[in-house]
Amino acid sequence: MEQRLKEFLLIIRILLGILIIQSINLQVIHFAYYRRLSEQNCIRTIDLGIPRGKILDRNGRILAEDKTCFNLVFVPYDMKNPEEAASILSRILNIDHDELLTQLRKKSSNPFKRRILKRGISQAEIAAVSEYAFRLSGIFVQAGLDRQYTLREGTSHLLGYTGEVNQEELELTKDEGVKAGHYIGKYGLEKQYDDLLRGKSGGYQIEVDARGHQREIIREISMIPGNNLILTVDQSIQEACINELGDRAGGIIVMDPRNGEVLALVSQPSFDPLNVAKYIGPPYSHRKPFLNRVIAGQYAPGSIFKIITEIAALETGEIGEHDRIECTGSMEVGDRIFHCWKEEGHGWVDINQALPFSCNIFFGTIGSKIGVNKILEYGKLFDFGKPSGVDLPGEKSGNLPSFEESGGAINIAIGQGAITTTPIQLCAMISAVANGGNLWKPFIVKKIIAPDGKVIREFQPVLRKTIFISDETLTILRRGLRNVVRFGTGAGANVAGIEIAGKTGTAQIAQKDLGLLTRGAFVCYAPADSPNLAMVVFLDEASSSQAARIAGAIIKKIYTSDEIRSETVISETGIESLPSGSQGFE
Amino acid sequence: MENRDNPGKILLVVTSILTALGILLLYSASRSVSAVTSGLPVYVKQIVWLFLGVLIFLWLKGFDYRHWNKLTHVLYFIILILLLVVLAMGTGRAGRWIRIGWFNFQPSEFAKFILIIVLAKYFSVRDVQRFSTLLGGVLLAGIPFILILIQPNLGTAFLFIVIFFVMAYLAGAKKKHLLILVIIGILISPFLWMGLKDYQKQRVAIFLNPWKDPLGKGYNILQSKITIGSGGIIGKGFLKGTQTKLAFLPEFHTDFIFCLLAEEFGLIGVFVLLFLYYVFLTQALKITLTTQDSFGRLVGSGIIVMFLTQIFINIGMASGILPVAGIPLPFLSYGGSALIVSFICVATMYNLWRNTTLF
Repeated sequence: MEQRLKEFLLIIRILLGILIIQSINLQVIHFAYYRRLSEQNCIRTIDLGIPRGKILDRNGRILAEDKTCFNLVFVPYDMKNPEEAASILSRILNIDHDELLTQLRKKSSNPFKRRILKRGISQAEIAAVSEYAFRLSGIFVQAGLDRQYTLREGTSHLLGYTGEVNQEELELTKDEGVKAGHYIGKYGLEKQYDDLLRGKSGGYQIEVDARGHQREIIREISMIPGNNLILTVDQSIQEACINELGDRAGGIIVMDPRNGEVLALVSQPSFDPLNVAKYIGPPYSHRKPFLNRVIAGQYAPGSIFKIITEIAALETGEIGEHDRIECTGSMEVGDRIFHCWKEEGHGWVDINQALPFSCNIFFGTIGSKIGVNKILEYGKLFDFGKPSGVDLPGEKSGNLPSFEESGGAINIAIGQGAITTTPIQLCAMISAVANGGNLWKPFIVKKIIAPDGKVIREFQPVLRKTIFISDETLTILRRGLRNVVRFGTGAGANVAGIEIAGKTGTAQIAQKDLGLLTRGAFVCYAPADSPNLAMVVFLDEASSSQAARIAGAIIKKIYTSDEIRSETVISETGIESLPSGSQGFE
Repeated sequence: MENRDNPGKILLVVTSILTALGILLLYSASRSVSAVTSGLPVYVKQIVWLFLGVLIFLWLKGFDYRHWNKLTHVLYFIILILLLVVLAMGTGRAGRWIRIGWFNFQPSEFAKFILIIVLAKYFSVRDVQRFSTLLGGVLLAGIPFILILIQPNLGTAFLFIVIFFVMAYLAGAKKKHLLILVIIGILISPFLWMGLKDYQKQRVAIFLNPWKDPLGKGYNILQSKITIGSGGIIGKGFLKGTQTKLAFLPEFHTDFIFCLLAEEFGLIGVFVLLFLYYVFLTQALKITLTTQDSFGRLVGSGIIVMFLTQIFINIGMASGILPVAGIPLPFLSYGGSALIVSFICVATMYNLWRNTTLF
């Protein structure tokens, strides 16, 4: 060991010697060269950003894509006079002078890298900037990519938006080539499929002269485009929903009950994906424009839940089709009085009349007969209290209460109390009623396709479970739902030529400062005898009959518009015809 | 004891100078434009670490190095657990840290020291002339090596290989056996590669081929050379570096701190630094040679190998003669775990000296 250890001294000398020699090489022999490069600081990095794939609807219509644009960029190091630049640019771009100045002066980890001052400037702005070019050292116009959304606010809750990567996101995506200043998906599908939509950034390393102008390109790296998403959504149906909902707060989801394909998803109020910042503060913020009400709004289902109560009652045999109960407008249970929504009462009704007229006394009574646990059990069968699994970020699960917190059988039977559901859960539920018990997972992305056309991933419908509901129960329930629209509480959805079946639901919700608020909702499917469409419409501050009217109008548009009929699967035949119960009802 | 030849004391003096130099450089680094990151400036954080390091040093100074001998099993077990925790949590830049508050703990740094004492014990009690003993050592070093490799922390993993071979060689292993090990290593490395997960392969690929990220790493090498070269003989002056101040290099307070020294203090600064390292290493070698028991000798030489390799790889990388690897420069780079481990090593060295001379 002694001998071997002594060899060590030599090794130490050799290795440290090599380091000294290399330092002399750099600092003495090549000193002039490196000093010049250092003094001129003449190497600049131009990062053109990460290209993203397109998002297309089911028929190949473009919902989102990158467009070439011109960006105004600046190199912090080359800014000779930020004040002057800010005052000139604030006039040209119509941006506040101080705001510009702060941006221009903001410290940067690499002051030799071009940074974007304003995206997508107009031809006029480019002309004006070049006019002042001699006074704007360090400011350049550079080609870039700008994300465009065909329907803007109309798809912002579905597609989401992109934004500059923040520190935390940077940590996670660093290894995938994302750098500070790059744009990544922040919300909606843009976020959910961000890693697949993102391509690879490209750019240049250039040598510049003393004024910061390009002298030569040292290295060029080309961009690699990202993958394209093909959705299950139909742009025409989406547009029909946007138009019918108008400015009202609420939301709509349209689904194919045969497989879970989401055909449209709209949530209002919404925001402009190209100007997200505007909606973060007042006056917009108090209306919650960033809440996707369809997947994250958790509301009492109200009378819509009577569907579950009815299934539970008929399946357990607690009540027969023709058992009648008298509704006097109210009922006393212990020391509490429950009211029907119809003050004078519905009189003697059986289940065939109770559902269309949504009689609270009837359903309250059968609810207390079958008990909280049985109702909750059926609620659980339909996966209430669990997220539907749709491929969007931020989905909520609603609340299927326990026995203790349920608020009692009467409350739960009519969808009040502690129970909350999301509209997308209701849509999956009504789809299962329409198709005979199959609970599908709603999904939005059908295919992911590489830029060269190769299919990277294809999503098949996922059957979460099949709920056993007897034919007898289904026949009675479906007839009832059809009658809701024919002459019951959902008559607003009655459209000539199309048989729609549905159920209204209203929940009174106490809101801070606002007092009582009525949230009206309508779930439905059509055509009643072979459904190929299921829908939920809900309005934050309106009645359920208004929701039904909107649903009717949308369905009418879908089935009568040549454009939609010729393009979508809606025109194909539905599932095999359902057992036809007697349609007569007196 | 005559003052003229007291390697223990010289070691402490050199360590103090190096540490002070490190704080000075970090102070300079924290005045750059890119030091806009949140929280305290790096030099303040490093001073906090330094206090902790000094406390640990004072505590270990009186700790007879032979006690490490008895602790090897426990320490080896603990470090394996910690390395597994890192893999499971996977926080930090490349998943090397365990985060507790603002306190970032890097087990792979501690693993280096533990590897040294574990191998020292193993080689000191067994017959290294036998090939089977050598294979046992491979197994002992191999488990933490793999855990560090897949973090991935290739720099430290490579350090493990160097430490293992040098210690085995010094312990008296046959050259023929070591050669066979190298050949086996080359033969099985493709299988090791196949065992990696895709994202791990990707990280390793970027490490081995910096041009895969040309706007990033290739650029760093060029800028690193410009920074060192532009310092010239006398440097640009303290706090007057332009390259590092303007943040051409993103990590000059950690892996590229040598550039900062070379730019501001020039070749003279580089000479001083390398002289300090030279004195440190030769005095450590002197202590190791006077140590009587083989465990102590192996620990001493392991520590020397570790420091020497880190110095050579780090400066070699910054000056463009070796590929980029994330290995800190001892006593200078910002980083609490590395600093504390360096102090533990110095305390152990000091102890080797004290206990030998007391005989």
